[in-house]
Amino acid sequence: MVAAARRVANDLHDVQARQPLAAYLRGIWDRRSFVWNVALNELRHRQVTSVLGNLWHLLNPALNIGVYFLIFGLLLETDRGVDNFLLFLTIGIFTFQFVQKSTMDGAKSIVTNKGMIKAVRFPRAMLPITSTVTELLAMLPAVVVMLVVAVVTGEPISVRWLGLLPLLVVQSVFCLGAALIAARLTAHLIDTLQILPFVFRLMLYASGVIFSVDAYVERSGFVHTLFVLNPLYCYISIARWAIMDMPLRAELMVSGGVWAVAILTLGFLWFRNAEEMYARD
Amino acid sequence: MIEVEVADHPVQPEIVPSIVVDHADIRYRVYEEPQLSARKLVSRGFRSRRAVTVHAVKDVSFTVGVGEAVGIVGSNGSGKSTLLRGIAGLQTLSGGSIKVRGEVGLLGVGAALKPSLSGHRNIVLGGLALGMSSEAIEALLPEVIAFTGLEDAINRPMKTYSSGMRARLAFAISTLRVPEVLLIDEALAVGDKQFRAMSLQRLNEIKEQAGTVVLVSHNLSEIRETCDRVIWLDQGVVRVDGSADEVLAAYESDG
Repeated sequence: MVAAARRVANDLHDVQARQPLAAYLRGIWDRRSFVWNVALNELRHRQVTSVLGNLWHLLNPALNIGVYFLIFGLLLETDRGVDNFLLFLTIGIFTFQFVQKSTMDGAKSIVTNKGMIKAVRFPRAMLPITSTVTELLAMLPAVVVMLVVAVVTGEPISVRWLGLLPLLVVQSVFCLGAALIAARLTAHLIDTLQILPFVFRLMLYASGVIFSVDAYVERSGFVHTLFVLNPLYCYISIARWAIMDMPLRAELMVSGGVWAVAILTLGFLWFRNAEEMYARD
Repeated sequence: MIEVEVADHPVQPEIVPSIVVDHADIRYRVYEEPQLSARKLVSRGFRSRRAVTVHAVKDVSFTVGVGEAVGIVGSNGSGKSTLLRGIAGLQTLSGGSIKVRGEVGLLGVGAALKPSLSGHRNIVLGGLALGMSSEAIEALLPEVIAFTGLEDAINRPMKTYSSGMRARLAFAISTLRVPEVLLIDEALAVGDKQFRAMSLQRLNEIKEQAGTVVLVSHNLSEIRETCDRVIWLDQGVVRVDGSADEVLAAYESDG
């Protein structure tokens, strides 16, 4: 009867009423071991499903870098204004792929977990959060590779490297926001999964991943402003500054930071606004 | 034995309400195409998506007391499942209100978490999603696995399970942490005799812990064994609400 007394102490609540934001966030925090457990398991699972396993996290961008290096560096010679083009590409592609993969995984997180959503009640934002944490963990070896390439290609070890830590934090915040938005978009319109790759292909060219924006675009022009407003370009530029001491202007750091906070806030609120919808067919 | 009045009458004052359904009305639109696709959007436009409005639950009111077990019977399409989803907060009401004391768990047929993962892994995932600690789940695991009776199959991917095995696992996961209100939608039907006996016993334990149980089933003996009270839904309307014996007798004679 002790149990009865405890249970009865709860108040009747309207099942239609939305949980207050604080309670929702607490619900997520209380389930943080879910995030770790699923993320680590997912990484382990990937290992099993292909012969080279998690190595593909590094092999895939490495092959990409090889292809781009061949086409852009050697054939088209877009390496204008860049001394260490191999490192330049490596940083660009790894940094870019972190955003791309988190957004794509976030997009799939609701539709591929319908079973769990229907069976158990939990804050649905857990799913895009988990997929983003998975990609963040997968990104860590890539950071090591970037630094190894830096050392091998003759860049001096520098305290600027420490700048990668805050960058990783800010970029993860941005990635989570993007994952939340993509998750709700896909829940509404499954075709989002087909459209996103094209968005990212366009972004690949619009973010200076494979060429130096400064060498092609007038510094004070309108096009340059567009680049400054592109968060991906901001994060890539910061990473290149940290690792290979490429010039970095303050407005890129401000823009990158503002984007991260804005996208996460917006993405989180927008995602939660459809909380009840995710359990439906 | 708790005496319960017919719908719309307040329950006796000494009963602490656990579920209060007050003039609940549920309409939903079903689309020909459940998932919106861009192709259809372009070819037909948003508004012309063919939709049918289903008025599944019509002005339903009843109160369930803490520790009570209520069965819901009715023919297919009488609104039983929709009502349960409404109580679980998974279905938006178009009128009225539903209030619940404490946490609600809904157990449906074939509730699979992640079919590609093993049963064992699914239990852990379900527990974590419910907000349990890894240690608590670890401590419960042997008991839960024994309850599912899956033995070695517990380490096989869930997609290789039969519907009965899946039901066992789903039931075990849903009752890992006993919710204050447990809603069961035909989830016991696919299990074998032994499983049914075990799950009915578990339901009675939950009742004794002052948990509230609502059971939707076409198996009347299952309802008779578990429930003190039965609500008969007919085309979205409460036809009779009363003691199990009384309502089931009326329901059976209705044919």
